[in-house]
Amino acid sequence: MRAIEPWVEGPLTTFLTESSARLVLLMTSAGQVIAQHGFTRSLDVMAAAALGAGIVASTGELAKLLGPSPFGALVHQGTNQAVFLAPFTTPRGRWIGLVVYGKETSLGLIQLFFNRMVEDLSQSAPVEHARRAVLAENFEHELNASLRALFGR
Amino acid sequence: MSLVNFAAREITCKLVYYGPGRSGKTSNLQYIHGRVPEARRGRMVSLATESDRTLFFDFLPLELGTISGFTTRFQLYTVPGQVYYNATRRLVLQGADGVVFVADSQARRFDDNLESFQNLQENLLEQGIDVRSLPTVLQYNKQDLPAELVLTPADLEDALNFRSVPSFSADALHGSGVFETLKALSALVLKRLAAGNSGESV
Amino acid sequence: MTNFAQQVLEEVTRIPGVRGALLVSEDDGLIVAEALMEGVDGPAVAALAASLTGRLGRATRALGKAAPVLLHLQATGGAVFSAAGGEGLLLVAVTAADVNAGLVRLSLLDAAGRLS
Repeated sequence: MRAIEPWVEGPLTTFLTESSARLVLLMTSAGQVIAQHGFTRSLDVMAAAALGAGIVASTGELAKLLGPSPFGALVHQGTNQAVFLAPFTTPRGRWIGLVVYGKETSLGLIQLFFNRMVEDLSQSAPVEHARRAVLAENFEHELNASLRALFGR
Repeated sequence: MSLVNFAAREITCKLVYYGPGRSGKTSNLQYIHGRVPEARRGRMVSLATESDRTLFFDFLPLELGTISGFTTRFQLYTVPGQVYYNATRRLVLQGADGVVFVADSQARRFDDNLESFQNLQENLLEQGIDVRSLPTVLQYNKQDLPAELVLTPADLEDALNFRSVPSFSADALHGSGVFETLKALSALVLKRLAAGNSGESV
Repeated sequence: MTNFAQQVLEEVTRIPGVRGALLVSEDDGLIVAEALMEGVDGPAVAALAASLTGRLGRATRALGKAAPVLLHLQATGGAVFSAAGGEGLLLVAVTAADVNAGLVRLSLLDAAGRLS
């Protein structure tokens, strides 16, 4: 498991243990990865997050067109595995959970423990602290070197 | 908004390619995808119609390397250019750290460029973002076409670049100007992050 | 079906000590119909009952036996009963610890028979 914010790890570990989910991805509503478990390549995780956020955003817009109340979770049932996708609110903003699970568990269990994880996350979120400057002032030199390495010129 | 992980020393930024339909946004990403070593990029995801027009977005994750001790990743998105896909454009634009506006240099597309540029400003404003505060780079694409069909960079500069942001002539299909554009936007976005004006997290 | 199911569930809840009865989809552990007292966490009971029944079924099949007809989970604070209730459905009762277990079993099996 990898989490951008350490306080997310506890609730996510509990969810994984109790729900028997195969893959889990937590992301912001803009598609930025917060935490993940089960993916092998970090770059694939980003694509999954972009697509998951896209689906939630588009079904959200669809819900607006169809009526006043927004959709909750979205489930896509496959033959061997299913995808559960649900937006939720945290003290750190609107996040989305993407869960892939198989026959060893059920939607009921996933939903149940997902809701508990959302509560746990709300309780463990630290109060947001002041932003810090990230990069050293001379980062431009390194940026240029990285871009040269990346693009081969 | 850039996501910064101080514990693992990682930065992730979202860059969006905006512009009118068929101006070459997807071509920019395809060229980058084709040229960047496989280990440094993820799969390119394209949600397109049967006729290869972007329906929702294209997505390409890149690993830039280490900058100031931070592993830096860029997520490149394109928006669908067609006017009627505005709801989708707004969704993709959400949380963007920087925008490349890809203009179509063909004279007959002049109005489409203006309309799309205005649409960008409206969509940003709707999210409470002043276009002047968001790192932006202009790309005048298709400059390789015969001179009688295209406007010069100077003409386009007059029409679009009243903020004097970095701008580049390009032929995205063959790659000219593509990396220069991305490099300039990367620098702007990271500079803004360095100044502490953007970025979220621990 | 839903009205009939509701009626069957309410009959089960008439037994003293039964705090709720649910019809649950066996595959996904979701509630199809319910008659619950205040304070009973229906979704949790449904998910738990379906999960237990599924696991037990897999275990008995692995031993070459047929899937169990009724499951009775006794805990200190109460009990859960679950019976196969027709095509992919489970009939579940949540009870107090001191309920008349025999009566609950009979009632559930009877209700399950009527539903399937």
